[in-house]
Amino acid sequence: MKRNWMLLSCLTVMTLLVGTAMAQEHAKSETPAKLPDGVALLSADSKPSDDVSSPQGKRRMRQARHTTKSEQSERAEGEQRFRENCGRCHQPPHKFSPRLMAAAIRHMRVRAMLTDEDMRLILKYMTQ
Amino acid sequence: MRRTGTILSDAVRCRFDLASRLTNLVRTASFPTLIALAGVAGLLFSPTALAQATTDEDVKPIPIFQGSAGFITNFDAGDAHLDPIATPVVLVPVGERWLFETRANFETDMVQLPGRSGFHGQVEKQVDYAQIDFIANKYVTVSVGRFLTPFGVYNERLYPVWIRNLQSDPLILPIGIGPSNASTGAMIRGGFKARPQFDINYTLYFSTLVTTTPVDSDRFAGGRAGVFVPKARLEVGGSFQHLLQQERSNLFGFHAIWQPTSLPLDVRWEYARSKRGSGYWLEPAYKLSQVPFWQNEMRRTQLVARYQQFFTGQLASDPLPPVNTKQFEFGVNYYFMDGLKFTTNYGRQSSIIGNKNIWTLGLTYRFVVPIMPEGGRR
Repeated sequence: MKRNWMLLSCLTVMTLLVGTAMAQEHAKSETPAKLPDGVALLSADSKPSDDVSSPQGKRRMRQARHTTKSEQSERAEGEQRFRENCGRCHQPPHKFSPRLMAAAIRHMRVRAMLTDEDMRLILKYMTQ
Repeated sequence: MRRTGTILSDAVRCRFDLASRLTNLVRTASFPTLIALAGVAGLLFSPTALAQATTDEDVKPIPIFQGSAGFITNFDAGDAHLDPIATPVVLVPVGERWLFETRANFETDMVQLPGRSGFHGQVEKQVDYAQIDFIANKYVTVSVGRFLTPFGVYNERLYPVWIRNLQSDPLILPIGIGPSNASTGAMIRGGFKARPQFDINYTLYFSTLVTTTPVDSDRFAGGRAGVFVPKARLEVGGSFQHLLQQERSNLFGFHAIWQPTSLPLDVRWEYARSKRGSGYWLEPAYKLSQVPFWQNEMRRTQLVARYQQFFTGQLASDPLPPVNTKQFEFGVNYYFMDGLKFTTNYGRQSSIIGNKNIWTLGLTYRFVVPIMPEGGRR
């Protein structure tokens, strides 16, 4: 009787775990890719008067392009650091929310002895 | 003027006196005292670097609950073992520099007992580590409490079931990690970019004797240092430990992890030597992501092999094999999704007391959940 209960508990736990994993995977596939901040800024704040030909429009476009480029290069650098450092031990995990990821990355800083810069870039990459 | 000169000369004399006392102390100090001195020095120097310390997390971290679970079935020389395992981890970041982390381990080895039907076993409960970390600056982190002994890399980095490529422990794992895989004491550690081409990481620790099972630990002091070359994706390092009880011997080990950039291949290697035995293991793991057909399935599939040898030492030790042993294992892992892995492997162990086959089948899972509501970004 006790053995049956133990097996049933194990099965229930495993089913719950697999269910949670599948739900996470489903949620991940449904979440649209987040655009870099610069692009979002450009599209959300664009007005008809912000024509590319006007001086303000050109300045905004340049700023947005610059922001997007630096964000993208930091993201690429973060991804590279992630593969170099984290990939030495484990498979890439999901991307988590920033506050959750900040705790995990602090843990990894201690455990895997990440450098300061690695931590900053990986955190950026994992939360974008 | 003359009085100022006298004060200055007194100050200089006092400083030289202090320096000579310190030199004498270092010269006559024992190894653990030196480790403690190094820790104190690290703490003393830390305020100077506090300005550059890394608290650059833009977002405020929240406590999280993470961990792994698995159900592993072993057939060891024909005997079936059912091993359900759960290892929850709690992380509580405090402020900008503190972290409390703890991991528990619940494991059962269920076997068929003679004269009884079904599988039976007791749940073994253990606190793997419970430590408080203080990130003093970008070079030094201080940890106190019960921590995983950083001898080699397997115990500290590769042990969880969702990380390890093969579910069996390496034969040399018990060397240098203490009776319960952990130490009780203090540790300083850190990682930093020494040159643009490479990073250096280091750990210095001291553990005290604890005889309360299952949180027992030995009295020893030691350290580990490694160099990581990001471009080559190569890490090499060494570990050293001096046992401050029983035979008072020295232990040392080496490790290497290499991931060639052109291939989805991981190669891990460790060597350890002590009076109770020595040995090595070599583990290549290849992901089939470059295979041109069935790409969706192939990129989730990983082939793993491990070859290891153990040589007995002058003294016997319970957790180590009693005779010289060789073991070869080959396995396949399939990643259904992030964190959920099916694992299987076959191994053959050879020694003078007999050869045996080891089969393993299992499912492992890793999870991360926040303990409190996340609220806003900051």
